[in-house]
Amino acid sequence: MVPSEWLPRLLGIAVLLPLVAFVVNVLVGPALKKYAAYLSTLMICLAFVCSMTALVLAWLPYHDPAPAGHGDSEPHAAATSMIIPVADQPQHAHQEIAAYTGYWYRLGQFGSLHLDIGYYIDSLAVCMFCMVTLIASCIHFYSIGYMHDEESEYTDHEVTLSDGSYLTRPGRFPRFFQYLSLFCFSMLGLVISGNIAMTFVFWELVGICSYFLIGFYVERPSASTAANKAFIVNRVGDFGMIIGLMVIWSTLGTFNFGDITKDEPGIFSLVRPAEHQHELIVPAKMVQEAASEKVAEIVQHSESLETALSEIDACTDDWRKEGYGYWLMIVAGLGIFCGCVGKSAQFPLQTWLPDAMEGPTPVSALVHSATMVAAGVFLVGRFFPVFVPEVLLVIAVVGCITLFMAATIAITATDIKRVLAYSTISQLGYMMLALGVGGWMAGMLHLFTHAFFKSLLFMCSGSVIHGVHTNEMTEMGGLRKKMPVTAYTMLIGCLAISGAGIPFLIGFSGYYSKDAILEQVFSFWRYQPENAGWGALFFLVAAGSAGITAFYMFRLWFMTFAGAPRDQERYDHAHESPKVMYIPLIILSIFAVGVAWNFFDVSLTNLLEQARPLGTAASVQGEIVQQWWPDEHLAHQEKIVFPVTLIAFGTAVTGFLLAMLFYGLRVLNAQEVQQQFHMVYRFLLNKWWFDELYDFLWVRPTLLISRLVTGIDRRWIDGLIDGLADCTKRFSQWGDRWVDQGVVDGFANLIARWTFNTGLSLRRVQTGQLRQYVMFIALGTVAIFILISLFWSRTLAG
Amino acid sequence: MLLFTALNWHTLFFLIFALFACFFAFCVLVTSNIVRMAFYLTLALGATAGLFMLAGAHFVGAMQLMIYVGGTLVLLVFGVMLTAQDSFVRMSTRGGDWVLAVAVGVSLLALLVVAAIYLPQGEFHADAQAKIPADVANQTTSLGLALLSTRPDKLVATNETLAAGMSGYLLPFEIVSVHLLVVLIGAAYLARARRHAPPPS
Amino acid sequence: MSLFEPVGVTHYLIVGAVMFVIGAICMATKRNALGILMGIELVLNGANINFVAFGSQYLRTETLGLDGQLVALFVIVLAAAEAAVALAIALNFYNNHATIDVDRADELKG
Repeated sequence: MVPSEWLPRLLGIAVLLPLVAFVVNVLVGPALKKYAAYLSTLMICLAFVCSMTALVLAWLPYHDPAPAGHGDSEPHAAATSMIIPVADQPQHAHQEIAAYTGYWYRLGQFGSLHLDIGYYIDSLAVCMFCMVTLIASCIHFYSIGYMHDEESEYTDHEVTLSDGSYLTRPGRFPRFFQYLSLFCFSMLGLVISGNIAMTFVFWELVGICSYFLIGFYVERPSASTAANKAFIVNRVGDFGMIIGLMVIWSTLGTFNFGDITKDEPGIFSLVRPAEHQHELIVPAKMVQEAASEKVAEIVQHSESLETALSEIDACTDDWRKEGYGYWLMIVAGLGIFCGCVGKSAQFPLQTWLPDAMEGPTPVSALVHSATMVAAGVFLVGRFFPVFVPEVLLVIAVVGCITLFMAATIAITATDIKRVLAYSTISQLGYMMLALGVGGWMAGMLHLFTHAFFKSLLFMCSGSVIHGVHTNEMTEMGGLRKKMPVTAYTMLIGCLAISGAGIPFLIGFSGYYSKDAILEQVFSFWRYQPENAGWGALFFLVAAGSAGITAFYMFRLWFMTFAGAPRDQERYDHAHESPKVMYIPLIILSIFAVGVAWNFFDVSLTNLLEQARPLGTAASVQGEIVQQWWPDEHLAHQEKIVFPVTLIAFGTAVTGFLLAMLFYGLRVLNAQEVQQQFHMVYRFLLNKWWFDELYDFLWVRPTLLISRLVTGIDRRWIDGLIDGLADCTKRFSQWGDRWVDQGVVDGFANLIARWTFNTGLSLRRVQTGQLRQYVMFIALGTVAIFILISLFWSRTLAG
Repeated sequence: MLLFTALNWHTLFFLIFALFACFFAFCVLVTSNIVRMAFYLTLALGATAGLFMLAGAHFVGAMQLMIYVGGTLVLLVFGVMLTAQDSFVRMSTRGGDWVLAVAVGVSLLALLVVAAIYLPQGEFHADAQAKIPADVANQTTSLGLALLSTRPDKLVATNETLAAGMSGYLLPFEIVSVHLLVVLIGAAYLARARRHAPPPS
Repeated sequence: MSLFEPVGVTHYLIVGAVMFVIGAICMATKRNALGILMGIELVLNGANINFVAFGSQYLRTETLGLDGQLVALFVIVLAAAEAAVALAIALNFYNNHATIDVDRADELKG
């Protein structure tokens, strides 16, 4: 199969299949009943088949995933820890990136801008397709079991009606799968989209799906509030994204990622032109836009337009050196990243994700851990070549703050799903940190491994909730005897997320990705020629949080599955989930273990390496911030890998042992520690008071302003409108009296009087005199004859 | 004698009958005595019968004499006699009525006469009367056949438009028969004496 | 017209018109109900003359054929019927009002 032909076809079909399921379910879903679920499941499985076909038959045979091999070779200058001037870097010129871009349908053409339904397919997109469709298929099967209650009439025990009874409503089984299908369509469309405008459309579509699914139990006040919160917080991020889009649109004049034709360069080749060795430069258009005053000056003083244009072209390089347009690059990058912050629940917009756990657990597993929230990281990865070092530093800082904050909050949370939610935020922070310090591969790899083990963890927690009917870990305990499959698959998930493995030999998937991140952070620190404070901070926080991760994950596992039951009644009623639920768990646990393994050179790392944006495998230095972003391959050296692996292993083991002591063996009492550090405990339990802070900063002022505006509305605007209404009423009364009663009625009465008088005078004709009637007849005859003779003509007769 | 042979007898008799009819009709108009009116009417209608016969409609003329003069007028005379109280024998009309009626009548007459004069005279041969076969007996037969839905005259008609048209008068004939019966009964019912009936309470 | 020429349809029509108009004036001036009846008879006769004239072969080559005479016959018959009914009405009127003056019969005045 020729990739350029078959990849768009196969993946396009994979995108459309869930849409078909969605449309059918929208139209006839309630009639299908549980077959709606089968339809959705069938479609997503077919999409998975398409994706796998694309990977195995259309991608792998044509793109040999040979090992990059950079890690083995010792870069000549790196050993001396010296700054390598950019120009002296090993040249990767004339390399071709393996990406297929084009469009299915051209929506519109505005001057030089084309708006397409396009595709940009590289190995990252193909792998994302396989990952999303696989997890989504598992979750569809899982949901058939999990949402079983919704098939018939459903009694919601969390909604109490005014008469004290529980709400009973028709089941929403088909609706759930309808939303899931729409989500799968949107997510796949987001992954495949070939331009940033299309990305934005699908971005909003996944957002709205998330809104629907969080608010699935719409009658619960907490669920509808959480849905609103997620939607509104995401709007804040999307606002920044729109700014970024505007900058790109107005300066570059294209939305496409890649070059559709030679004449239509995409964003990537504008920002990193091939003649410049794919090194990041400010595009000429952006420079001219920023230096618009100088451009205007040249145009004023030159004789013809041609000379002006050539002069401008000549000056562009100088202006670029002076720094014109660099700020526009920063604004564009920060704007795009702002959208990613909202979608991926990064600091400071992280508050919506824990609340989003009000949705059904399969939704949490699919949307709020594995795919949608990872879309922010995916977009950062996609846009990685566009980000200038300053933006990367912001990304790293945001990721660092997020990963630490979320990890600490996860320690104290007792709701099993909230622990996982904070864990998700923390892991997304890891990805952002990795990207921010230049570790594109590390971030993307962690995106994949995290998707598998986090969806696994969520589905396990859903299985537990399904079994014991509570979210609170304080009411669980000892459940591994009741639900062994769930317990041991979850253990695999915990080991994977903690990055468990035998150092330097083999490990769970998280072992590879987390170590890659830490290595890159360490490399960022160690290769810093001066001012290594940022790097040190990043590494310490990241490594420490790795330990915290292991701690809270095993805390979760021990509290749930180990020890003696805390609530005997719930324990007695607990049961293992049905087959349709735990078989997906087993499948996902296999992937959670081995997704990062290397099979005969075919590994996720090698595959993703093919999608690495051109020019990013090089060290760069910031223009404004004095930081050094080392080439990612430098992180593969022995002197980086060795200490980092040991540190990561050590922190993880420490976290595990602490959890074991507190919750597994219960040697130490967690209560005492809480009391001892009760200030810290309260700080963490209240989630760093972020909700309260936002409530004070935004919600209350908004309410205050709205109350003020309401007052103005009541007093002034209502008064004005009432006055207007009163005027209108008076006017209409006047109109009624004079116009209606006077003119209209008078006219009607006049006609009536005329008619009456005419009748009165005509009745005199009706004399009753027979002889007069005869006269009338004769007269009439004469008159008719005369009339006819006067007006008769041949033409009238025809 | 020459005058006698050149004289068109047909025209002469037409004139006589026409003057007769017009004169006595006029007499009917001007006399105010109801009995005399009835008498003049008899004469006027009789003269009309003569006109019919001059036009070749012998059967119609005969019927005019028999039904009109013989039947209808007798009926009228009965009516006159039944109501001929002294006060009603002569009833004069006001002069104004007369003037009005004569004015309208004269204008109508002028109209009709003008229409008659401007009527296309059509093709006419002086010897037409000679060519017409004198089948008087046949004419009655033809009328009878026409009433029974056979039209012998249509067979010989040269004019295309006139040759087409109604085939006969069987249905009107039947209707008129029934009509006469209804009239007979109706007249008897209307005219029955009611003066001796007991007054309604 | 001359006595030496044959008569035409026009002459008949004029006679018919005269009788028709006299009948009409008769109807308009006579106060006696029977006088009005006689006026009607005159009108009918005037019309009848026209029918016969148009149907006559002696007056014009193109004729109505038998139709003229047949209609004249129907008119005569209907006139007889009409006279019978009208007479009955007149007698009834006379019985009820003790008069034969039509000017007295104005109950239908508007």
